[in-house]
This record gives sequence, structure tokens and C-alpha cells, in this order.
Amino acid sequence: MPKFKKPRIPVKIDMTPMVDVAFLLLTFFMLTTQFRPPEAVEIILPSSHSEFKLPDVNIATVTIGKDGRIFLGFDSQRLMGDKDIFGEENKLKTGVEVPMNRLQDLLQTARRKNPKLATVIKGDKEADYGYAEDVMDILKKANITRFNLVTDYIPPTKQQ
Amino acid sequence: MAAVDTAEHRGHKKGKKRKKARRIAIRIDMTPMVDVAFLLLTFFMLTTQMTKPQTMEINLPPSEASVEVAESNLLTVRALDNNAIYWNMGIELPQKTNFDGIKNIFRERYQANPKLIVLLKVDRKARYDLMVNIMDQLNQNGINRFSIASLLEADKTLLKKAG
Repeated sequence: MPKFKKPRIPVKIDMTPMVDVAFLLLTFFMLTTQFRPPEAVEIILPSSHSEFKLPDVNIATVTIGKDGRIFLGFDSQRLMGDKDIFGEENKLKTGVEVPMNRLQDLLQTARRKNPKLATVIKGDKEADYGYAEDVMDILKKANITRFNLVTDYIPPTKQQ
Repeated sequence: MAAVDTAEHRGHKKGKKRKKARRIAIRIDMTPMVDVAFLLLTFFMLTTQMTKPQTMEINLPPSEASVEVAESNLLTVRALDNNAIYWNMGIELPQKTNFDGIKNIFRERYQANPKLIVLLKVDRKARYDLMVNIMDQLNQNGINRFSIASLLEADKTLLKKAG
């Protein structure tokens, strides 16, 4: 049988819709991305099964580093830059190292300025519990009896 | 690939007097732009993290308030720096267990007595992780009545006696 020669049809794919979608996604990701501000210390969070999400606004974060250093940070630049708290020069930082004995005072000042402020403790997994205990004592003294611990979520199926 | 074609107008003669301007078909090659767009898209997709960290809520009683707790409802858990965990009901002698053991104890005791109140005492030298894990177990078992106290020297001697 003689070879049947197929006529070649030139394939031309219109890529325009794909490119449109790509640009749409690109815009979406560009607008939603929030770059993580550089943290004062690297924190490895402990894991838990708690599904309670961290609120977006009005939070004061007490960070406990691995070596027991304490950092205090607020999510609003207004509070960070307040002259009674950290002053203008620390406005853009996410956390400032504070000595244990000033923590109570600073937290109370901040809570006076923003009564909606919720306190969260962000402790390093490897840190000694003693530091966390001190911080919790200070919170208790500052009349903050309800606070949150920041953890990493592990899905229930992956139990250790 | 992606290209913009502006079709050559060889339309109707509008003005006869006008000189016929020859339109040159413009073809822009969009490939590099699309390449860059995809590169950026990939970058943003990979760097975006949608998940927000989780938190665990703790409600501590204010330091002035003292609450009377029936001894039979009180489960004291003491955790040491070597990850050993001791537990006892009321004034019983503490018994040693480990982290896996304490999970079962929480479940059994809470089922036996829903009025259970847990007092958690963690050694200052223990890892923060341990305390969070124990509290996580409390939350998972639905025990929301618990309190945290410091582990005193008296506790340590008691634990030594218990072995």
C-alpha cells in the first residue's frame, strides 16, 4: 500500500487566555503577599493541635528566645513608636529586647493606650520553662489573666 | 507564541486626495514578557504562606483569688527537666509516668470525673515545649479547668521520696 501522505495542518495555539490567567494570578499573589518582617530572634515554635487562629490586629507579642532573652512587640507602628513605649526610633521594628523588670510596666502602658490589646507569648521550643514562668507571673501581675501561646499546628492524623 | 498582530489595514479609501500611507504591520513578540510574568508568578506562589500561626488560649485565675478545690477533683501533674512526669490525685503519693502515659491518665481521669481540675507544675529547667505539649493534651481531652503553679523545692523532695 502506498504511503498516504497526511497534509500537515499548521498548529497555532492562542496563548492569550493562559497569559491572562497568569497575569491575574500574578497580581493576586503580588497583592496578597506580606513579607515577613525580619524578626529579632529566630523562634522555633512548639507544636500543638489547637486550631485557634492568631488574631490579625491588636496583639502584643512577648517573644522568649532560646537563650531566655525577652522581646516585646506590637503589631501597630503607632504603639511601637509611642514615646512612652519604645520611642520613634523603634517604630519600624517588630520587637525590642526588654529586661524582665520593665515588661510589666510596658505592657500596662500599652494596654492603657489600646485597651483591645491581646497578649500572646511566643516561646521557643527549646527555651527553659523558667523564663516562660517568669513572663506568666508578670502577666498575672499586670492583670492579664487571659493570654495565648503561639504554636505550630500539627494535623490530628500525624500524632507523635 | 504570544504576539500582538495589528492587522494591516487595507481598507477603503477614505480620501482620494490623500496620499496612501502604507501601514506597516507591527508584531511585538511577547514571549520574554510572558516568561518574566511566569517567573514572578512562580516566585510569589512559592514564597506566599497563607497559614497563620495557631494559638492556645490560657485563662489563669488572678493571683489574689483563691479557689477551694475538692481534693478528690484535683489532679496534680509535675513535670521535671528530664521529661519525667509525676501525677497524683489529691494527696496521694505521686506516680511516675512519661508523656505517653499522661495522655491516657488525662483521658481516664476525666472520664471518671468530669469535674476534674488539673494543676500543672513544671520545673523551671524543663523545656517550654514540654509544658506546651502537656497543655495541648489537656485541651485535646477537653479539660479546660486547669491552672499553672510553680514547682517548688518541696515538690522536688516529695518527688524524690516517691522515687
